[in-house]
Amino acid sequence: MFSLPQLFGEDIEEFNSALDRLLSQTDALAAMIIDVGGFLITCRGENSAFDATTLAALAAASFSATQQMAITIGESTFNSVYQQGEKFSLLLQDVNGQCLLVVIFKADNSVGALKYCSTDTIERTKSQLGRAQERHPSQGLDLSSLNLADPSAVFKRKQE
Amino acid sequence: MAIINQATKELQVKIVYYGPAKCGKTTNLEQVHGNVQNVKEKGKLVSLATSSDRTLFFDFLPIEAMAIKGFKTKFQLYTVPGQVIYNTTRQLVLRGVDGIVFVADSQYDKMSENVESFTNLEENLKSQKLNLSDIPYVLQYNKRDLPNAAPVDYMEYVLNNRELQVPSFAASASKCDGVFETLNMITRLLLNKFINEGSRKTP
Ligand SMILES: Nc1nc2c(ncn2[C@@H]2O[C@H](COP(=O)(O)OP(=O)(O)O)[C@@H](O)[C@H]2O)c(=O)[nH]1
Ligand SMILES: [Mg+2]
Repeated sequence: MFSLPQLFGEDIEEFNSALDRLLSQTDALAAMIIDVGGFLITCRGENSAFDATTLAALAAASFSATQQMAITIGESTFNSVYQQGEKFSLLLQDVNGQCLLVVIFKADNSVGALKYCSTDTIERTKSQLGRAQERHPSQGLDLSSLNLADPSAVFKRKQE
Repeated sequence: MAIINQATKELQVKIVYYGPAKCGKTTNLEQVHGNVQNVKEKGKLVSLATSSDRTLFFDFLPIEAMAIKGFKTKFQLYTVPGQVIYNTTRQLVLRGVDGIVFVADSQYDKMSENVESFTNLEENLKSQKLNLSDIPYVLQYNKRDLPNAAPVDYMEYVLNNRELQVPSFAASASKCDGVFETLNMITRLLLNKFINEGSRKTP
């Protein structure tokens, strides 16, 4: 079972810096790192233009479904998914089996160039995830301030 | 697994509603979406469904709770398609799951479907090297409003007779009864788990 390591500020900073570099090299609109379970880890670029949380969930699902298709036809893996639209295109690439790189770019830009440039982004993300994994999993984790003796429900129903 | 981002003091949690076809999983999410009041941010409910309203892939509802003692807690609620043929899809949705709500249909004639779906859940978790006993889960006995609903004791006997009994809730999801009770309990179990794991000391 995969399990994402706990992420610290330095991890996110490194992801962001790798994504920013990719954006500046390719003039893609936005790039994000998500986990295969569908969580958004970080998003750079013009992320106000779309609902990044929903996109992350759908991208992860689409990628997983594609992986499953690969297995079904006897391929060991498809490590990327590319969708070309009229205005925008979408490229999903595997990082390390736990995380994916999602890039939204203008449809008239070349996917080949983008793939070429993202090799470095993927490498940097992968190494940082490796470093995060090597730390002790509970290091620095302090959730003890969450006071669950507090009986108030997290989610409240509207009163009619 | 849950993402804990120390940088932004953010916790992300994935909860999957599981159960046989038409037991009311999608209805649970719709009711949460329609009736929740004290959240910081509620995303839109995304349904990947067929034209006949059956869940094809999943429903998805992102929802951010008010900061719990300084932590931003983002919940992602998913449902799975209940039909037996969509098993691959169910396995995909279970990837990275933190907590499970098992929704059972209380009608007598659905009991074998409930049991089959529960067994299927255990098998699908196993295929991901997960054990149901390691994952917080709660049971919801839905459709209590129907005349042919089996008694709660009977449901307990059929679905909650493991060594470790889990919290269970009677519900009529279409009237929103029991929906929030169920969600709050799984939330509580999950947060407790994170706290306990988090306070574990380095040897
Ligand atoms: N009587 C009754 N019907 C319900 C209840 N909850 C859901 N339903 C109905 O059961 C059907 C299937 O519900 P749905 O949420 O789509 O089931 P799903 O397949 O598990 O997602 C719908 O027609 C719902 O309106 C309930 O508590 N009581
Ligand atoms: Mg459904």
